[in-house]
Amino acid sequence: MGELTGHSFPRMRIVYERGNTVLVGPVRDQAELTGLLQRFSDLGLSILSVTTVDDPPGR
Amino acid sequence: MPAGLTLTDEPLLLAEAKLAAPRQRAAIVRRPRLEQALERGADAPLTLVAAPPGYGKTTAVRAWSATSETALAWVTLDAGDNEPARFWTYVATAVDRMRNGLGRRALHRLRSHGLAIEVAIDEIMNAIADYRRAFTLVLDDLQTVTDHDCMVSLEYAIERLPVNARLIVLTRVDPALELARLRARGALTEVRASDLAFTAAEVRELLVDRAHLEFDDEQIGILLRRTEGWPAAVCLAALWLGTVEDRDRAVLEFGGDNRYVAEYLSHEVLSALDSDHRSFLLRAAVLGSFTAELCDAVLGRSDSAALLSHLEESNLFVLSLERREWFRVHALFAEFASARLALAEPTEPQIIHRRAAEWLRSEGLVVEAVQHAAAARDHEFVAEILSEDHLLLLRNGRSGTILRWARTLPDDVLREHPDVAVAAATAALLVGRLTYERRRYLLLADSRTSTHPDRIGSYVECVASMVRAAAIDRGVDEAVAQGYRAVELARREVDASLVVALAALARALYFRGDLEQAWNAASSAADHPDVSHRVPGYAVARATLAVIAVDCGRLSTARGHAEGARAVVGRISSSRSWLGAVVAEAVGSLMLAEGDLAGAERELGFAERLVGDDIATVEHAWLLVRLADARRRRGRLDDAERTLRRALEELAELGDSGDVPGLASGVAAELEHARREASGGEILELPTDAEIAVLRLLTTELSTREIGRQLFLSPNTVRSHVRAIYRKLGVGSRRDAVARAEAAGLLDERDHPGDRCELG
Repeated sequence: MGELTGHSFPRMRIVYERGNTVLVGPVRDQAELTGLLQRFSDLGLSILSVTTVDDPPGR
Repeated sequence: MPAGLTLTDEPLLLAEAKLAAPRQRAAIVRRPRLEQALERGADAPLTLVAAPPGYGKTTAVRAWSATSETALAWVTLDAGDNEPARFWTYVATAVDRMRNGLGRRALHRLRSHGLAIEVAIDEIMNAIADYRRAFTLVLDDLQTVTDHDCMVSLEYAIERLPVNARLIVLTRVDPALELARLRARGALTEVRASDLAFTAAEVRELLVDRAHLEFDDEQIGILLRRTEGWPAAVCLAALWLGTVEDRDRAVLEFGGDNRYVAEYLSHEVLSALDSDHRSFLLRAAVLGSFTAELCDAVLGRSDSAALLSHLEESNLFVLSLERREWFRVHALFAEFASARLALAEPTEPQIIHRRAAEWLRSEGLVVEAVQHAAAARDHEFVAEILSEDHLLLLRNGRSGTILRWARTLPDDVLREHPDVAVAAATAALLVGRLTYERRRYLLLADSRTSTHPDRIGSYVECVASMVRAAAIDRGVDEAVAQGYRAVELARREVDASLVVALAALARALYFRGDLEQAWNAASSAADHPDVSHRVPGYAVARATLAVIAVDCGRLSTARGHAEGARAVVGRISSSRSWLGAVVAEAVGSLMLAEGDLAGAERELGFAERLVGDDIATVEHAWLLVRLADARRRRGRLDDAERTLRRALEELAELGDSGDVPGLASGVAAELEHARREASGGEILELPTDAEIAVLRLLTTELSTREIGRQLFLSPNTVRSHVRAIYRKLGVGSRRDAVARAEAAGLLDERDHPGDRCELG
């Protein structure tokens, strides 16, 4: 994936796994999620999948 | 007012509805906690209100503003504002309406120096500071703006907001601003979906206290759970439940239903309306924003004013705005309504758009008219507007607008309006990376079918030649010929295009290696008395003068011209366009000559990225050659070689590339020389065992991180070993380190193969 600067996505942890890049981090709500996806798209990154890791309490 | 086609020298009219704040609604639930949250944000420059549609963002901010002692400037953004010039024109106009004349200087800047946006933003900030009293600027629907230049300009503005001002941004999606940085500085307040969602108490207030529906806690719980507190759903539920007979049963059924709640409720509420009201509402939704007069004209009625008033009172679908009787339909509802109408009456929407375009045009509301005309596929209308206004748009940095409208036009319409086709080609050139699209417009202009008088013919030919010269589409010699043709036509008949024609000719001559003639042409362009109105041409001319001066070793002259070009284009508004690339080429070339190698690589790399698209061009190949040279001089020989290889591949695809292959050969020779020096030189100091272990792995394809993993070292340690290796071997690249180490026998098998390297 190349030099993804950590500070583009400050709340995400970046993990390299089997040739792909995985970003793990807290996403509060739809607005933030859509914003992130838009950012990835602007950077020309291909999104392979989006998965929930932990369910936040109460939803 | 006469049929509203604007004159070329008058400013383009603005869409009034975008500048109108929504009117305060009377019977809404007071939500003091939201008002407090917004009030708390008063000290921070930026307040971000981010939530999906139907969360009551607009309502909350509007309600807060009524309680707060602040001047309020409101701009509702849309997809057309993805251009800094238009974006900031609306903001400046909104500011201007706070106190007459407040935005005058900014508006003047935007009209005359449409490119250097930061200058206009500075004027806006000064004006707001002069206003002295509390000033709030609200930008609604920011999610419609995704253009990088606009975001950069917005960040620039946020940094410069005066003490008395704050910016509130309403959006469905977190914007691409440096939010983390603002948050860390305490310069950002956020109001999000979880804040805007209704609480049980608020649901009770809405349903029981306001709508007078007797529900107990359990029922409120069901409603809250089903809607998840989504305000639009809760309000719709309130409306709907007010119309049903057996409310208790309705609540239970609703609670058990799985359909998409907003669509379900909209459907229910619409069904409960009388058929005339429903029909009106569905059609008004197609209009987006409208006045009662527009509704009457489009729907063939005379009672729209009364009807709108009633609808606004009784439901949430229609909002009124504080400007000349404008109304808007709520975005969420508009989606369902349009879909429903299109399903029931497929031909209606187009008819509505067409009638709206006609009426708006007759009222002189050109911008709104074009949007509806495009939606109605009334191509003639759109083409006419573009025909009238493209010069003004190009001058004001509104290439994006031209392209957006031109893209809706089919080929035969463009053939009939070749002046629009060449304007679109110019816009595509200025925006950059649209080689295929640009060529398509030029071909359509070539095959023009219009029977317009000769004047149009000369204009079209002049501009087409100019674009071909500037883009070097068919080889350098052809570009030079096109450039001369453009200049000749401009001198004879098309004065407005003379500066840009001369600039294009100058560039083509430069790529051919005719430096003296290029210099003359560019000087004529730059010295023309009208340059303040011909900004793109002037910028290209000065950038070309800069690169010529660099090649002739006249660096201080070059610096003057490069700075001149940069000042005129600005840093923000063209950071993603071809003009930005042209300036960066000049600045980068100058830095290379001055020895600022890091700066040169940065600027030339930036320009290369802005110019490169899928199609091989002479300009891109030239940039790659320059970039390779910068990298070579920095000692990054591997990168230089890779870059040069790309340049050679691209040149192989091109025909006549003028001077560029010669330049490429020159750089290739220098690179060879540098490599020979690297591998044949002396070793200054022997590397340590630890360093040799790293050196062995440098012969492979492993990355720094992977080398570290193999040797159980951190990447930082690996890097410092590599730096030491380079220093000791007197080299500047991995390949040269390997070459020199191998030549010196450093990598031969040692006597102690079992040795472990030392850590650290």
